[in-house]
Amino acid sequence: MSGNIYTIAGSALDAQDARMSAIASNLANVDSIAAPGQTPYRAHEVVFEAAPVAGDSADDGLGDTNSPALGVQVAGTVLSNAPLKQQHDPASPDADANGNVTGSNVSQVTQMVDLIDSSNTYAASVAVLQEAGRVDQQMLSSFQVT
Amino acid sequence: MNLGFLNFYNAVLGVQQQRASLLANNIANADTPGYKAVDVPFESALSSQISDPTSADSAPEYRANVTVALDANDVSLDSERVEAASNGEQMIGAATFLKQSTADLITALRPNPSGN
Repeated sequence: MSGNIYTIAGSALDAQDARMSAIASNLANVDSIAAPGQTPYRAHEVVFEAAPVAGDSADDGLGDTNSPALGVQVAGTVLSNAPLKQQHDPASPDADANGNVTGSNVSQVTQMVDLIDSSNTYAASVAVLQEAGRVDQQMLSSFQVT
Repeated sequence: MNLGFLNFYNAVLGVQQQRASLLANNIANADTPGYKAVDVPFESALSSQISDPTSADSAPEYRANVTVALDANDVSLDSERVEAASNGEQMIGAATFLKQSTADLITALRPNPSGN
């Protein structure tokens, strides 16, 4: 029902927030390198799933069993399998026997595109919240007893 | 006395509320892999609510003729936003009409038309 709009949009803001945090972390580590034997940084990718929002069971007695309110939640984070960056730099103290330095597998371009996508969805969810607030306000003033 | 308009607006606002929920849900899941946008057809949902006001909400249907992305998600953020905005306007419109109808009724019920 209507009150769930806020919960649904809120879950979207939470999820996009987690995604943007992951993107920030990835971008911060775009130039991270790993010494031989250490684990290099791999890009974190947040996976979303549709999930019933808290406080709305499939049958809440309101007769809306066909459409339990769904929201979105973070199902987990996976590490990207993209190939690690190898840079030939024999002078580096972190170079391996062949003179290569292993860096992260973060692609700056991919992360920036993801960030734009995420912020678009975030903005849309904020617009939904504003719209719901405006409609509720109009409804209340419509039924104001004068 | 015929108060049929109350049932009518009850059904209208009920369907619009269900739609508002579904549209918010579609936008929330714009980046969920495999998610398919859902909506209820207003006309048939309204007629089923009018014929039986106690019936459950109509089952949501998937959108037809939409572009599916590589992650099997078919939500179009722009069209969902447009739908949500127009649904909101329709809710306000229905509430305004309902208010006018009830105001007329209250006026008719008052012993003194001046309202005292």
